[in-house]
Order: sequence, then structure tokens, then C-alpha cells
Amino acid sequence: MQDQKTKCMVIGLDGVSQTLLSDYIEKGYLPGFKNILDSGFRLHQMDASIPDVSSTSWTSFMTGVNPGEHGIFGFMDLRPGTYKMFFPSSKDVKAPAIWEIIGQTSGGKGSTLHDKYREGIRRPLKSVVLNIPQTYPALPLNGVLTAGFVCPDLKNGTYPESAYNYLKSIGYLSDVDAQKAVEDRDAFFDELFLALDRRAEAFEHFMDNSEWDLFVSVITETDRLHHFFFDAARDEKNPVNKTFISFYKKMDEVIGRLYARFMEITGGQGLFITMSDHGFTVLEKEVYVNSWLREEGLLKINAVRDYYEGIEFGTKAFAMDPSRFYVNAEGRYPAGSVKGSDKKAVVADLKDRLLSLEYDGRHVIKAVYGNAEIYNGPAAASGPDLVCVANDGFDLKGTLKKEGVFGKGNFSGMHTRHDAHCILPASIEPGGRLHIEALAGFMLDKLLIQKPQRR
Amino acid sequence: MDHLSILENKSIFIIREAYYRFRNIAMLWSVGKDSTTLLWLVRKAFFGKVPFPVIHIDTTYKFPEMYAFRDEYAKKWGLNLIVGSNEGQVAAGMGPKKGSKLDCCNELKTNALKQIIEKNGFKALLLGIRRDEHGIRAKERVFSPRDDNFKWDYENQPAELWDQYKSTAEEDNHFRVHPILHMTELDIWKYIKRENIPITELYLSKEGKRYRSIGCLPCCSPVESAASSIDEIIHELETTHTSERAGRAQDKEDAYTMQKLRSLGYM
Repeated sequence: MQDQKTKCMVIGLDGVSQTLLSDYIEKGYLPGFKNILDSGFRLHQMDASIPDVSSTSWTSFMTGVNPGEHGIFGFMDLRPGTYKMFFPSSKDVKAPAIWEIIGQTSGGKGSTLHDKYREGIRRPLKSVVLNIPQTYPALPLNGVLTAGFVCPDLKNGTYPESAYNYLKSIGYLSDVDAQKAVEDRDAFFDELFLALDRRAEAFEHFMDNSEWDLFVSVITETDRLHHFFFDAARDEKNPVNKTFISFYKKMDEVIGRLYARFMEITGGQGLFITMSDHGFTVLEKEVYVNSWLREEGLLKINAVRDYYEGIEFGTKAFAMDPSRFYVNAEGRYPAGSVKGSDKKAVVADLKDRLLSLEYDGRHVIKAVYGNAEIYNGPAAASGPDLVCVANDGFDLKGTLKKEGVFGKGNFSGMHTRHDAHCILPASIEPGGRLHIEALAGFMLDKLLIQKPQRR
Repeated sequence: MDHLSILENKSIFIIREAYYRFRNIAMLWSVGKDSTTLLWLVRKAFFGKVPFPVIHIDTTYKFPEMYAFRDEYAKKWGLNLIVGSNEGQVAAGMGPKKGSKLDCCNELKTNALKQIIEKNGFKALLLGIRRDEHGIRAKERVFSPRDDNFKWDYENQPAELWDQYKSTAEEDNHFRVHPILHMTELDIWKYIKRENIPITELYLSKEGKRYRSIGCLPCCSPVESAASSIDEIIHELETTHTSERAGRAQDKEDAYTMQKLRSLGYM
């Protein structure tokens, strides 16, 4: 028998920023959110992971540990000892996700969070996990999971098979075709609304027809809307403004419904959270950091070869999306050209150059962090040597194919690290600024009731 | 009309259309089963006589059986054969062990072909690629424009509705024409069988192994197979589920992921 009072529901809203949410609630667009805030909840601004990219940030959310422990630093990475690019999957996540901790299916994976709560798990708990990025392929769990972005195959992305059969039967879309935002705006919006509809239908189905202690569901469409049309969010003259707001209104209705149903099931006792993996702001300039490295004479690339395999001897550093910098160190890479004894100096020099990078008299970079400053754990060594957080408006891109340092493409929005949102019961006091890695602990506190021993 | 005749008619229509539109064209012949089938179809389209040059790109690393086969049938079929190789790079010792395999292909195949196109001013090339070969080829068109740098911009392809193939070129572009795009590996073998098209013996099993596709010797490896005749190959293909290219499932997932990430501005 499941304990209704210890149930948790988290609704993830990809890229929904605290500032925009707060604006829209104030303007009266979002009565569902307003109702939640009026019944004992608070809206917090939250820090995302660094880099503030969905794969990294969602993995921090679901494991409750930093990238130095969970090992996901972006959507793409290089195979150890090579320049060969690969796309990390759920199998590359080194720390157990919260549903693996409570479901006792973490296998050989461990983490500092797991250690802290190990004692409190009396029986395996069940989870429903819908559409969290970086969970493909679906690994067997005590419950149901369908993977979020990137999910190349819904069948491999869903566990168990009965859940796949159901999703297929309702025409569930794992993602919209973002290319349409450029090619055919109307078709893009049609698909965006359709995907949200199908997701809401699936969320309600699993809520009512599965057993669960933890229910996590993510809406991705907001991120897609923001990437292409964030300039329309607050600009009433923008032709897309009305559609933008109507998407938020529709989402508000879905969340209002899920909240009411959850409170009904748990008699008002369960833990309800909404959150995002990063914020968004208007994109002013794209910054092609590899092109900048080339201009600075730090990167030599043979464009004939595939991606990073074109790196040549003499390269001091290269960058990967979105803002990760790697020193081309001897021993770490085949064409490594920086001696161990010189690495510190190269890192310091690169940091100085990055911090003095300007556009139109303004600094592009807000902060540069060294690996050891932000990453801690067994996977830290595979992470970047430096990571940047840019000032709002400057979107750092890791492409190797652009000429020139500054440009502008089809995108009007960009991620921010500092403006993710989280709605929490007022009884939870984060004690300072909220960080995305803290949420798993709040959930475990509730699910396991028995508080962990904190030393 | 039976399946193979429908495929054949479609191919011949495309070949004649390409020749009528461009005149100054050529075809690529690697001596493999697909381009030899294409060559056969071209001969059929023009009643036995190939009215344009046939280009063989010689990397100098082909199987000895392939050179013998090429010379035998070039003579037998009266082909205007242009053998092209990137002589500068060959002399400089370019090979799969020098630099990356990609460099080797790029220098010895792509750049060799570029030199021939420049020299002869060909407006279009016929190629024997098939849609089922590889994930990315699923997006290929029958008439596929390339720019000066050989870049293929698949997002900017003209629509092809039914048989209205788009076949007008902008200046400085050349077109790639793919008359057997719609055939599968199995179709090819069935057609080879029906028409009795000659192929090199590399495709037939010897000591439990055969080549499923052929190119340069250092970069090809045979597959386990007991099929030592064309009938046996057809039977093998009808009953096997392993694909022509190993690891293709991962290729497909990666191609999908790459495209998804690009559409959101990554990469």
C-alpha cells in the first residue's frame, strides 16, 4: 500500500525563467500558477548547472549531484584519448537518478546523495518518469519511463513495453520538429500545441493508471518556443506575441489540472514542485568561440576531417557546445600540444583572454570557472578545463564551421544560468540561493520521511 | 509489368532525361555491382552504345580483380573510358596509412574527380547510389545539385513530385543524377540474375567469406557467407537481417541526434 502523504510530483518546464513566469503571473495570464502560489507556495529564482545546457542541467536535477559526479557536461563529448565525438546517453550517466535510488535499481552506481539516504530506504518505491532529457535509452526501473530529448526511437526510449504501446496509440510526440520554426511557422506552432496536448494526455493517463510514489514529467515545448521566438515574449507588437502567450496559457491550464488532481490524491499532503533546467533571455549575438580561438592563434583545424578530428598539432585549446574549453594537453589527446608543466599557464592565459573579450564596448563573458572550482567527483577529470558563463545576450556556440566571431542566426532566445525557476512549498526554506542540485534532496526527504543523518 | 521491369523503366527514363537535358555528361563506374548495373542500364537506354564517357577513379588501391574486370569490359563494350587519379597525391605517397582514411578518400577520390570535372566541364554525373545503402542517402534525390565545393545542401533540395524531376542547373553547379536510387540491394541482385550482368568474383564466397561491397583493398573486409552463386546471394539476402553496413543502427541514431542538435543551434 502506497503512502499518499509522501508522494512527490515534479513538473519540469524546460527553459521557463523565473522572471518571465513572474511577469506573466502578475499580468494575470496564468491563473493556474496564481492559484498554486496563493495556496502556500513560493516562486524562487534558481541557479542551473554549468554549463547551462539541458543535458547537463537535467542530469544534475535527476541525480542531485554536480557534473563532476554524474559525468554529463553537454550533448556531445569526445571519447577518452581521442578527438572522436559521441553523444552521451543514459548509459553514460555515472550517478544514480533519484528513481534508481528509491526504486533500488541503481545497480553498481553510487553517489554522495545515494550514500546520504541509503539507510532511509525501507522498501523499493515506484516512479513515473516522463520526458526528462538525457534518459535515452530507457533503462529498466521500478516504474515507467519515457525518455526526453534526444530520443531517436520511442520504443528504445520507453520502459516497459506496455507504456510504449500506450504512447504509440495516442500519437505521443517525443519532440517537435524544430526545423519547422524556420521553414513554416504555422506548422511549427500546430505541432507545438499538439505535442503539449499529447503530453498532457499521457501525464494524466500514467497518473491515474500507474502506481507511483514519485511522478516527474517534463514539458519541452517551452524551450523550443523560446529558442526561436523569445523576443516575442514581452513585445506586444511582435506578430508572434499572442501565440506565445496563448501557449503559456495552455500550459498553465495543464499544470493547474495536474496540481488539483495531485492535491486531491494526497489530501493536500504531497510535495508538489515545478522547476526548470535553465532560464531564457533575448539573444543579441551568437559568439563562435572556436573561430575566436582560431583568430587568437590558439586553435588549428583541418576542416577536411570530421569535427574535432581536424585538430592539429600546435593547438592550445578548443571549445565544445555551449561554453566548455579544453586544453589540448599532451597525454589527453592524440595531437596534444601543451605540456603538463605548461597547462596552468595556458589555462590562466585563456581565462584572461576570455574575460577581456568585448563586443561593442561590452564584456561578453561574465565569469570563467576552472574545472576544480565547480566540479567535484570521480568524473571531474573528464570535464572541461574552463567553463564560461556569458553575459545575457551573448550566446556562446561551439561550432567549428563558422567564420568570424560574432553573428546571428535563426534564434532569438538563449539559455541563462541564473534565471531558472522553482516553485516550492513555503515550508521548504532553501537557505540562500536555490541550486538545481538541491531538489533531489527535498524529494528524498519527503519520499523517505525519515530524515537522513546530516553531519 | 513485373517489379524489375518497373524499376528498369524508371531508371532508363531518368538516364535518357539526364542525357537530353545536359548532353555534356558522364557516368562514374567503380566496377562494383551497383555501378556495373547502372552501366548495363545505360547501354540498354541507348541500344548498346554508351554515348558519353565513363569515368573510373583509380585510387591505385583497388583489388587486382577489379582492374582486370574494368579493362576486359571497357574493351568488350566499346567504352570511352576516362581513368582518373590524383597523380600528385599518389606520387606523394597518399594512402590509408598516411593521414586519416578520410584524407585518403578525399584526396584520391573526391579531388581526383574534381580535377576530371574541371578539365572536361561535365554538367552532370550519373552515379549508382541506392537509397537503402545508408541513413543519410535516404534523403538523396534523383537529381541532386552540388556547388563548386561539392557540398550537398540536403535542406535546400528542390521538391520532386511524382516524375517531375527537377533538372535545371544554376551556373557553376553540377548535378548528380541517381538513376538506381530506388533499387534495393536485393533488387540489384535479382536484376543482375535476370539480365545475366557480369560481376567480379569478389562478391562470391570463397572459403566461407565474400565481399558484400567493394572499393579499395585496404578498407574493405569480407563478410561471413557461404553464398557462392548469385542465386545463393539472393537467398541469403532474403533470409538475413544483418545490414549491408555493420553498426548501422548506431549510425542512424547518431544521424538523428546530430540533426536534432543542429536544428537547435548546436554543433
